[in-house]
Amino acid sequence: MNYFDHSATTPIHPEVLDLVHSIQKNVYGNPSSIHRLGRKARSLIEISRKQIAKAINSDPTQLIFTSGGTEANNQVLKSFNQSEKNHVVTNPIEHPAILKVLTTISSQKISFDLVPVNEKGRVSVSEIESKIQEKTGLISVMLANNEVGTVQPIKEIVSLTHQNGVRVHTDAVQCLGKMPVDVKDLGVDFLSLSAHKFYGPKGIGVLYFKNKDALSPFMLGGGQESGLRAGTENIAAIAGMGLAAELATDGLGNHITELKSFEAQFKSGLLSFFPNAIFNGDIKNKLPGLVNVSFPGHRSDILLAKLDRSGFFVSSGSACGAGAVKPSPVLSAMGLADEINISTLRFSFGSSNNSEQVESILSELQTILTD
Amino acid sequence: MKRITVGMSGGVDSAVAASILIEQGYDVEGLFMKNWEEESEYCSAEQDYKDALQVCDILDIPLRSVNFAKEYWDRVFQHFLDEYKKGRTPNPDILCNTEIKFKEFLNYAKDLGADKIATGHYVRNRDLDGKVQLLKGLDPGKDQSYFLYGLNQHQISSALFPIGDLEKPNVRERAEKLGFDNFEKKDSVGICFIGERDFKEFLQQYIPAQPGIIVNSKGRKVGEHDGLMYYTLGQRKGLGIGGGHSDGEGAWYVLDKDLENNELIVGQGHDHAGLYQKCLTASDLHWISGEAPNSENLKAKIRYRAKDARCRITDMNDETISVEFEKPRFATAPGQSVVFYEGDVCLGGAVIDKAFNS
Repeated sequence: MNYFDHSATTPIHPEVLDLVHSIQKNVYGNPSSIHRLGRKARSLIEISRKQIAKAINSDPTQLIFTSGGTEANNQVLKSFNQSEKNHVVTNPIEHPAILKVLTTISSQKISFDLVPVNEKGRVSVSEIESKIQEKTGLISVMLANNEVGTVQPIKEIVSLTHQNGVRVHTDAVQCLGKMPVDVKDLGVDFLSLSAHKFYGPKGIGVLYFKNKDALSPFMLGGGQESGLRAGTENIAAIAGMGLAAELATDGLGNHITELKSFEAQFKSGLLSFFPNAIFNGDIKNKLPGLVNVSFPGHRSDILLAKLDRSGFFVSSGSACGAGAVKPSPVLSAMGLADEINISTLRFSFGSSNNSEQVESILSELQTILTD
Repeated sequence: MKRITVGMSGGVDSAVAASILIEQGYDVEGLFMKNWEEESEYCSAEQDYKDALQVCDILDIPLRSVNFAKEYWDRVFQHFLDEYKKGRTPNPDILCNTEIKFKEFLNYAKDLGADKIATGHYVRNRDLDGKVQLLKGLDPGKDQSYFLYGLNQHQISSALFPIGDLEKPNVRERAEKLGFDNFEKKDSVGICFIGERDFKEFLQQYIPAQPGIIVNSKGRKVGEHDGLMYYTLGQRKGLGIGGGHSDGEGAWYVLDKDLENNELIVGQGHDHAGLYQKCLTASDLHWISGEAPNSENLKAKIRYRAKDARCRITDMNDETISVEFEKPRFATAPGQSVVFYEGDVCLGGAVIDKAFNS
């Protein structure tokens, strides 16, 4: 089995798995209970919070645990639906956990503008500025895109907003472990993360907030997470995420080097037998190890099925959109023609790979493409 | 080893078809097809996909999916609407087979590297004298050859029909033994994209209704109709004709539609002469072998659930055909197909334009 779909999700790190397993087995106390087992559970949660805070350079009190990146995004946007300043500026290549939320709740109070991206998938800072109005409360731009890996100019966007009190949210689920994620350096007001993208468990995420006052509770109930996210905590997953965040940031330099080497090997190998390959995204500002490539003349669903048959797992478009062959909205927003768009695959390398695997997928691709 | 792509609908028939091919040693893959884009209570595609996935999981075969909603809309559904606008009663399942399942789906499966496709239809095929024949399924209650008469030599020879010699109870029994969740799933009935919703409401979304009057065979008004397209010849239910209009014995039946005057013509009694015709003309003629048959023992069905009955061809060219049955047929509906048989062999058919008595 050769897994090249790490941007969809990652295999859990063995140390994280052991920790999750041992907590599920032994620490079944409710963190709200005041006896020893409850205290143990509570302390595990707070250890995790500190680990994540360290990983992204925040204060532990600026984090709440959520069920994942989708929930974190929902919570931020829905908080602004209830605010006076309920106009949002975003862009068409955000994840559906932003765009679908906005289109759904825009029938209520919130309104939004989409600023276009260029052919590399970068938003224009000046276009964002031009869309800011009196009622604008939030700019939401992902730190890096999940399909093409383009990294957005978040710091520049943040610098726009200092005068007019607009807050900035960034969906950073693709980034931890692949690039530095430093909330102070970025200057953002909100940031979403999801553990399963950095070798942690699924079903757990975290929302960073600079100030609590701009945030409304998402789930109401027992008052957990400072009243911002009720519900008995998923202790094992939270602890697993903390360790995964620590491992991801500790090993960041080495991992980036490794990812870049897989990427270089893959690209040069591919071009040697398929010179027509088109690499999409922003070569200068992108996540390492994510290669979005179009194979003119070959439909992505057919390529994907043939690779799957031989045990090579990749994505076309976004994994959530699997089923129907529809042009990827991200690539369309970048101006890619439909026939190139539907010929596109995403290869995302990760720690489960080695260079032999990269060689074998190249050889499989050569067979398929020259058949 | 030959690779076969099985069209997995989520139903029990295609599931068992796949299991039989695996037993026979083929390299089997499932392909789920979505032909209708609609997120509503009436559309069971999501559940159907889950059912297909459970089956493929048990059989340990891949399940891929493909979407032909656009092709279906353009080539099947538009035709369906056009026929209703003309007051006819089309059969979209026939067109779905020729245009989608045995064209788009087949081509797609070949692109994926399949040698042949297979479906869960209750029909059989066999090679004879350099040609391939389509035969009725052995379960007389389930035979689906009527829906496949429009296929050509290439299409039939590209397909396997693994359950064509099984009976439905046996298929369900196999499915239960294999642990398929869908072993008791009820057979789909009627038109797939309408599902269990009200037919009138569905059609109203696409075609404006023109209400008019219902008259008896003598031209006297006996009621009002909601639009001619909602009725089919021979229909008894839902006419809403009150008492006091009696001009004979028994229930009211639709005898004919007068499109020009927007009148629905009805008559009383199942034996009403206006319900029976011996002759018909039909067009879009298709012969599976590529040639017209030369048979003394020709039989034909005028709708899926009709019995095949003895008939003879009275006139024919490449496009159209005239047929005379030995005995009159009940409620021959334009838009439905007349499908010809010689014994168990399905020969071909055509779309009915008109029924009459010579």
